[in-house]
Amino acid sequence: MKSLYKIVALAAVSTLATSCFNKEKPNYQLFPNMYESVAYETYSESSAFKNGKEGQVPAQGSVPRGFTPEEYPNTPAGLAAARLNSKSPLDSITSGDLDKAKQLYTIYCAICHGDAGDGKGNLVKREKFLGVPSYAERELTEGGIYHVVTYGLNAMGSHKNQLTQTERWMVAAYVLKLKSEL
Amino acid sequence: MSSHYEAPIRKPLVIGDKSYHDITVDVARPVETRANKQWWTVFTIALIAFLWGAGCMVYTIGTGIGTWGLNKTVGWAWDITNFVWWVGIGHAGTLISAVLLLFRQKWRMAINRSAEAMTIFSVVQAGLFPIIHMGRPWLAYWVLPMPNQFGSLWVNFNSPLLWDVFAISTYLSVSLVFWWTGLLPDFAMLRDRAVTPFSKRIYSTLSFGWSGRAKDWQRFEEVSLVLAGLATPLVLSVHTIVSFDFATSVIPGWHTTILPPYFVAGAIFSGFAMVNTLLIIMRKVVSLEDYITIQHIELMNIIVMITGSVVGIAYITELWVAWYSGVEYEQYAFLNRATGPYWWSYWLMMTCNVISPQVMWFKKIRTSILGSFIISIIVNIGMWFERFVIIVTSLHRDYLPSSWTMFQPTFVDAGIYIGTIGFFFVLFLLYSRTFPVIAQAEVKTILKSSGENYKKKRENENHSHNH
Repeated sequence: MKSLYKIVALAAVSTLATSCFNKEKPNYQLFPNMYESVAYETYSESSAFKNGKEGQVPAQGSVPRGFTPEEYPNTPAGLAAARLNSKSPLDSITSGDLDKAKQLYTIYCAICHGDAGDGKGNLVKREKFLGVPSYAERELTEGGIYHVVTYGLNAMGSHKNQLTQTERWMVAAYVLKLKSEL
Repeated sequence: MSSHYEAPIRKPLVIGDKSYHDITVDVARPVETRANKQWWTVFTIALIAFLWGAGCMVYTIGTGIGTWGLNKTVGWAWDITNFVWWVGIGHAGTLISAVLLLFRQKWRMAINRSAEAMTIFSVVQAGLFPIIHMGRPWLAYWVLPMPNQFGSLWVNFNSPLLWDVFAISTYLSVSLVFWWTGLLPDFAMLRDRAVTPFSKRIYSTLSFGWSGRAKDWQRFEEVSLVLAGLATPLVLSVHTIVSFDFATSVIPGWHTTILPPYFVAGAIFSGFAMVNTLLIIMRKVVSLEDYITIQHIELMNIIVMITGSVVGIAYITELWVAWYSGVEYEQYAFLNRATGPYWWSYWLMMTCNVISPQVMWFKKIRTSILGSFIISIIVNIGMWFERFVIIVTSLHRDYLPSSWTMFQPTFVDAGIYIGTIGFFFVLFLLYSRTFPVIAQAEVKTILKSSGENYKKKRENENHSHNH
């Protein structure tokens, strides 16, 4: 009997000790000495900035090391010029690069354009929205694709946040390959 | 009576015409009477010192170790000095109760209870320092090898600081059990004499229902002997481990193989001095002069003298080895001790620890209460400086001259030390009014062999036989 009391008491204590945890809230912390960063962490909020965000926009016209500003502006004229004149800086697209390009295409493009580039991506098939053309219907150049991926066109948004310049050129090469297979 | 042989050269350990009942009454008197004004005065002073020290500890933990006088070169100073000092003091209690038991020293019986109390109270003081000198003491539980959620992250068993944790905690628990086992018959005596229901209740709880049957006594003796056998290697290893904190380092002045036995000798030295300090006062205050006789004090003085000489030899050995080693860092460490900016602490230590115990060669001094009392205090001052000298003078000047610095304690350093002294006396004063300060059950076993009246009786009988 005595041991039963002990078991019940122990169970009660452990229930009591663990019952204060609320799943909707972060749990209690024991001496959170270095849990919160003293330095600014990426994407953190801070009242030190006007918009409250740690991520501040760099000064207009500044160029970071290892980056070349886009040659063609985000205008219909720029697109037309890019279609004609813009060339891939990549010397050659090897099969390894194509694998990488395929992965990038599958991640960022295939959801609308379809794995084969036929305009029948999952979102189109499920009729979330329509009007995605097949690559076969369009006249494409490498520079044009790069320009569209960089700035977007009509319903398509810019993808320069997702893909680096090199990656965009790789995707452009892969799109041309898909087009040739359609 | 005449069948018992004891060398007539042995002096009586219990003075006066004592019977078993007299012993009981004498031992129970401080517990059964009310404390006088002096007791309350001393207790209040000790309590204030303790509270002041507690405040300093709270301030340290709340504000940071930077409130102490430590710096980047001298990361250990008063904290570890006091730690080692208190641990050292604690060692005499175990020495008296365990080692002297193994050597069948009957004179230990009147002093072992208080010596063990001193052990426990001073180990408690010592135990504070490893916690409060931590930068983040609230994470102190990480020193324990417990399964946890950090992928069961464990401690590194290579650090003597971890061995300290095991040594001190084991030492405290074994000492406590040893002390308490010995207390059972005495608590039972107080229980049986208690007149108020409250004290009856208290002492029956504390005495664990001791009824003093033959079987109980037989087992009691066996347990005492086994615990004494365990406590003896423990007492040697605990201070050895404490000395490893320094001896296993690479610091010139610390890295010496002599440290373990030399620290243990120093511990016995300072511990016995402290026992002397306390008992000289206690025997007077609670009128136990018949049990803690001048012979007891003399014998403790002899141990102080012997261990003091061992410590003296260790000092000379260190100096010899430093010169003999040809290591300029080692040589400089000792040159710095003797002639550096802390020369005064080194020479204070040398005077207190090497010269003062040598006066015990004079019977006049070692049998003088005042002389013993003064020397016992001097020894404890000297032993505090021994630890201070070892720690600070080795740290403040070592390999890189660009890291040479000085150490200056702050009031917080001093406040915590004073606080532990206060806490020690709070505990000891409370102990001396609530616990049987003499192991009456043990003293009763030597009454008929070493009591003054019985010895006289035997002497007279022998004389009549011879005629």
